[in-house]
Amino acid sequence: MKERYRNRIELLQGTLDLLVLQTLRWGPQHGYGISQAIRANSGEILRVDTGSLYPALHRLEVEGWIAASWKVSENNQRVRVYRLTAAGKKHLAAERSRWAQLSDAIAGVLNPGGEESEA
Amino acid sequence: MKLPLGGKRGKELDEEIESHVRMAIRDRMERGESAEEAEANARREFGNAGVVREVTQDAWGWRWLENLAQDVRFGLRMLGKSPGFTSVAVLTLALGIGANTTIFSWIHSVLLNPLPGVGEANRVVALETLTPDGNWVPTSYLDFRDLRDNCKLVESMSVAKPMDLAVGNDVNIERVWGEVVSGNFFELLHVQPELGRFFTTAEVDHEQNTHALAILSHSFWMSHYQADPRVIGATVRINHFPYTIIGVAPAAFHGSMPGLTFDMWAPATMYGQLSSTGDATLRDRKWRTFRVLARLAPGDSIEQARDEVKSIAKRMAVADADTNDGMSATLLPMWKAHYGIQESLVGPFSILMAACGVLLLIVCANVGNLLLTRATTRQKEFSLRLALGAPRSRLIRQVLTESLLIGTGGMLAGLEIASLLLGSLGFLLPRSSTPSLTRAPIDTSVLLFAIAVAFATAMIAGAAPAFQAAKGNVNDALKEGGRTGASARSRRLRGLFVVSEMALAMVALIGAGLFVKSFIRLSEIRPGFDPEHVAIANLDISAANYNAEQADSYSQRLREQLERQPGVADVSYADYVPLGVNNGSWEDLEIRGFVPAPGENMKIYRTLAAPGYFELMKIKVLQGRDFNLKDDMTALPVMIVNEEFVRRFIPNGTAIGRQVNGWGKWFTIVGVVQDSKVYRLTEAPTPYFYVPIRQIYRPEMGLVFYVRTSGPMDGAILGIRRAAQAVDPAVPVFEATSLDDIIAGSLFGQRISASLLSVLASVALLLAAIGLYGVMSYSVEQRTNEIGIRVALGAQPRDVLRLVLSDGARLAGFGVAGGALAGVVLTRLLSSLLFGISATDPFTFGEVAILLTGVALLACAIPALRAMRVDPMVALRYE
Repeated sequence: MKERYRNRIELLQGTLDLLVLQTLRWGPQHGYGISQAIRANSGEILRVDTGSLYPALHRLEVEGWIAASWKVSENNQRVRVYRLTAAGKKHLAAERSRWAQLSDAIAGVLNPGGEESEA
Repeated sequence: MKLPLGGKRGKELDEEIESHVRMAIRDRMERGESAEEAEANARREFGNAGVVREVTQDAWGWRWLENLAQDVRFGLRMLGKSPGFTSVAVLTLALGIGANTTIFSWIHSVLLNPLPGVGEANRVVALETLTPDGNWVPTSYLDFRDLRDNCKLVESMSVAKPMDLAVGNDVNIERVWGEVVSGNFFELLHVQPELGRFFTTAEVDHEQNTHALAILSHSFWMSHYQADPRVIGATVRINHFPYTIIGVAPAAFHGSMPGLTFDMWAPATMYGQLSSTGDATLRDRKWRTFRVLARLAPGDSIEQARDEVKSIAKRMAVADADTNDGMSATLLPMWKAHYGIQESLVGPFSILMAACGVLLLIVCANVGNLLLTRATTRQKEFSLRLALGAPRSRLIRQVLTESLLIGTGGMLAGLEIASLLLGSLGFLLPRSSTPSLTRAPIDTSVLLFAIAVAFATAMIAGAAPAFQAAKGNVNDALKEGGRTGASARSRRLRGLFVVSEMALAMVALIGAGLFVKSFIRLSEIRPGFDPEHVAIANLDISAANYNAEQADSYSQRLREQLERQPGVADVSYADYVPLGVNNGSWEDLEIRGFVPAPGENMKIYRTLAAPGYFELMKIKVLQGRDFNLKDDMTALPVMIVNEEFVRRFIPNGTAIGRQVNGWGKWFTIVGVVQDSKVYRLTEAPTPYFYVPIRQIYRPEMGLVFYVRTSGPMDGAILGIRRAAQAVDPAVPVFEATSLDDIIAGSLFGQRISASLLSVLASVALLLAAIGLYGVMSYSVEQRTNEIGIRVALGAQPRDVLRLVLSDGARLAGFGVAGGALAGVVLTRLLSSLLFGISATDPFTFGEVAILLTGVALLACAIPALRAMRVDPMVALRYE
């Protein structure tokens, strides 16, 4: 019961999680890098607010889906780098299929076509 | 939601945010912005760093709480699924926590927080006068005044003397314990009145017997005046004198003696009136009768103050050589002070706390074992969760959460047990003449103690199973299919637990055995008189304001009244009860023909006795005669001494007829009686003397009637009460009991140790047996296959029995051996508290080893019998 409720309202938050996890699939990355990557890969459309990004990163870390460690960047700066864990990969796969279902469902609602007759 | 978070994590977050901004600046500068522009834009784009920091920290906080809530919910569900396991674990913990909390709260109320309701109580110390041979005695009022006026390192000093007061009118007299105190008593203790006011200095030090004022305890005010504020200014009759109530003490305050409760306070200057001694007590340096309390001046240590007190006492010993020659004084922390019950409780309490610690370790091992068994059977669940991506740390937390839940349950049940047991100390204390014991409360410190013990126990017990759970190899566990396997490591761990449990139980049993035997030996000591069939009653003649003649005639009439009662074989009276809790009185003696060595202690203790005392007590008169009715005020003073007195002071010549000086008079020795115990059953023979109560009368002295009866004891005790009421109702009987009970009371410290240790050791034995039983029956279950194969291959039931029993016996053997070794080391600490038995008494060790082995074999017998009945067909079909 509660699980279902959460799935419904946490959709947007879940979307950011999905984006972050997906970005980390290509390799470990720091927070700035993740925000830049999401921005570049979405054609400059999605700009992730730092006030959402960092809570999301830390929450994903607590969940055990990503792990963080301190590395020294090419500019000799200490940066906190996140990488996807095994549990995170499983979660990403689950989230992706959920996202696919969701976008199909939304598409279905927005383009009522073949299903009209059933209604 | 703000949670207190570690600074390290916060600093790391700051650094992470800063590195984000720096990278943004660098990128912007690479795109051609100037350094200032880049910085300003990057910071603007980032937004409010403070807010980002805050919401990010929220992510930690909520998650932490959510995980905890989830763990707790899951844990409760898992525990609910196995009620048997849960109740055994909770009960085991409750026993351990309950016992520990009870003993701790006793220690807390008597030793750690000896003066509840007193401000800065750790600065309050006791001053005690020392006799030349190092014994402690109360202090005379004049000595107190000199010490008070000369001691600079002590902020203030006050006397306090416990007194039993007869409160009420002729119709209804009640005996109430009170203290007579200096005017600055409450000020010294930093106690504020709940109602009205306390004494002032003027009311104490100047005029004698003029300030008839009383202060009530909170509980007395509640019970006798229904908390009516109009009590201030009311009159209460104490020992028949009217006293004006001026104040009520706060509820938390119980008086100035550790562990005891008083209900009334009066100025020390009224002592003469209350005890019918006039003002002699406050004018005579020899009349050592007061306790002295002192508050250390700020910044001064007790050692410095003690040195000062010693040097003042030394000067006094010279200045008042006639009374104080060789005397000294010292300061002691309250819990070490001798006046009160704490001295006899320090020993038993430390032993009991140690035994409780042992019990708690057994509890840890037992609960740890239970959890380990469960962890093994839940290995599949854990492996599955690991396979599904749960971090190992999460599993560890899950197991520890369950352990903590059990701990919480155990703590709640343990506190319940403790609150039931707290009052039981009262039953073990002597019923004789002490104020009632303050009921140890379950207060914040006790609660914190229980929580700490529960937490520590849960963590210790949960540690091994938690790591066991986290170590689980995903593949191995799942491959085993339906069967649950116990790794060799887990079996070894459980074996180790059981061995340590057996060893700990062995130590506890040895301790209990030694104390029980020591107690039995103590009880077997012959006191030198015959306490059986003797009823005694303490009478408070000071309440009736008798003079010497009236007191004498009262005693005669009461004696006649008692002699007429049925079943009464003998009646006599004295001023003292041997082996009671009161310290007796002594007199400085000069013995003709005996020259004391320099500094030799000639303060000899004595009893004032009536004719017939020795016959009643069955103390043999070896030479000369008993006192008789002719030995009164008008006759020549006479004295009877004991054998040791003669041995010490009159080694040559005859004792009878020898002159002895005391109270400024010459007494003639008319008899020698055999030695008997006076203060402690364990004391060596001590010089002692008796004088006729009719020749040395002191109005404040005790009056104790002795009745030897051929009838039942209760009837005799009631008879004394009735007779006293009939002769003069103004004289309250404040204690009527049997002499046997008094002697039992003198052993109360040993009795507490022996009886409570036996209880603790039995619980320890029971828990160890349960632990062994659990391990053995689990191991039989695990080995069902193996046993089945053995039986199939021709093993007889006898062989199976031997197989299981030898396994159990091996564990028990290790435990007994370890326990014996630990016992040899640990019981040595007890030697000073034991009597008539060596701390490494081989018989006790042997008996305990046999008992423990026997119980261990019994615990193994049930699983062994089950193993014998294994049907090879069924067992093998499991595969």
